[in-house]
Amino acid sequence: MSHRRPKSPNMQNYRPQLTSVLSFGHRLSGVALSLGAFGLAGWLMAGASGQDAFGSAQALLLSVPGRIALFLVTLALFYHLCNGVRHLVWDSGRGFELRAIYAGGWTVVGTSLILALALWTWWPA
Amino acid sequence: MIVDRSDEVPRLKWPRRFPVPRNLGVAVHSRIAEGKSWPAPEGATRIATLRIYRFDPDGMAGPRLDTFRVDLDDCGPMLLDALIWIKSRIDTTLTFRHSCREGVCGSCAMTIDGTNWTACTRAMADLAQPAMIFPLANLPVIKDLVPDQSHLFAQYEMIEPWLHAETPAPERERLQSPRERAALDGYYECILCFCCTSGCPSHWWNGDRFLGPATLLQAWRWLADSRDEGRGERLDALEDPFRLYRCHTILNCTRTCPRGLNPGRAIAEIKKKMIERQG
Amino acid sequence: MTIRHIPPFARARGLGAAGHGTAHWWAQRVSAAGLVPLVLWFALALAGGAAADHAKLVAWLAAPLNSGLMILLLMAGFHHAALGLQVLAEDYIHSGARFVAVAAIQLACFAGAVFGIASVLRVALMP
Repeated sequence: MSHRRPKSPNMQNYRPQLTSVLSFGHRLSGVALSLGAFGLAGWLMAGASGQDAFGSAQALLLSVPGRIALFLVTLALFYHLCNGVRHLVWDSGRGFELRAIYAGGWTVVGTSLILALALWTWWPA
Repeated sequence: MIVDRSDEVPRLKWPRRFPVPRNLGVAVHSRIAEGKSWPAPEGATRIATLRIYRFDPDGMAGPRLDTFRVDLDDCGPMLLDALIWIKSRIDTTLTFRHSCREGVCGSCAMTIDGTNWTACTRAMADLAQPAMIFPLANLPVIKDLVPDQSHLFAQYEMIEPWLHAETPAPERERLQSPRERAALDGYYECILCFCCTSGCPSHWWNGDRFLGPATLLQAWRWLADSRDEGRGERLDALEDPFRLYRCHTILNCTRTCPRGLNPGRAIAEIKKKMIERQG
Repeated sequence: MTIRHIPPFARARGLGAAGHGTAHWWAQRVSAAGLVPLVLWFALALAGGAAADHAKLVAWLAAPLNSGLMILLLMAGFHHAALGLQVLAEDYIHSGARFVAVAAIQLACFAGAVFGIASVLRVALMP
């Protein structure tokens, strides 16, 4: 009996490229936003429960770890939004030339960073 | 930063692979050990170092990584030339597929420095030092750089890559206008090297049910053929959450095609056809 | 160790085509298209201080336009999240636990949407 047939490595040996990395970012931001959606429902429930409950919820969100979490959620939001638009363009059949894929990808990264920072520097609280 | 054509070698030499331990999460029988290191040939001035995946199916040991040093002045300019040089001068047991040596047959497809390409069209000058030469990703390995592609070809056979026509064959050709013939351009040229399917993360996770970019590109080739009369049945066979819809437009496929084809676009066209017949 | 010899063609064919998949894909795209303006509206509203304290939140959601848009955001958002998380479960879970996970995701997202909508209505109807 000889050694069982091995499988050639996939992720451990394949190059991370803009294509796969941005796609994984889209998935990761989607998961983060799903958690954020449940957080939104919870925040609204706090609002419906009266001033005290809402006050505690706001205090939690405006604490240091809360602000960090909110910033990350904002980043995830704008990245998922911009990359989502890029996906919708692909679904229409356009933008599949390599140049468009790469240029669009870098544009999405830059735009989402700019939008997230813009929203946060404008945040009044 | 911006890539125009798939034959552009990535400018950054790092990272060639995810920076995780090489055997992270790998099944026991697939773990790669350190292998033999062969010395540089005497008197060689220009030397290239190749780290090559080896597996001997007749032995008891698992896969290993051998290090070869190639005299660039003694062999041709392409990676395939170096592999043949190694086989003839250093280690005759090195096993790999090759045929046309000009990038049209797809036999020598392998994972080179972390991306899939044909060895005969990858220049030695474009390789990192040391270069990492592996068989096509995520496939059972028969020996050394020879993967078992029987599942991939079975998936290809499943989409019935031949003309579906009940209309009896005419005396001469089935007529097709130049415009109708142009609809096949960019799809008929596929050489079935499976670089794209082997580089698709979705096929890594669900390759037993997801057809993969190569097969789906060929499915589109037949859907787009004006002479074909079985479009409905072809689309029925793809109406499945796994066969077609595991494609999440990751687009590793388009990036890696050695023929410069666009499986991503082909799959998007299939999805548009699926929508078109719904409303 | 039993070695299963499944012919490659049998393995490729599997259990045949399920006969659905397009509707899920389309719903994901439609909810995405709806979410683009809704999310932008929500982000700008919050950044503009619409919910800085409880009184402002009540006043903001008292307007039917705002509460309506909020409900649309919850519906589209949880629908999109449910579809996306289902795809995630199908991708990464290969045992029968996949079906349990998908069911749990659907139920949780439906519940999240309902709790959110109920809360919006409660706030909107607060004196």
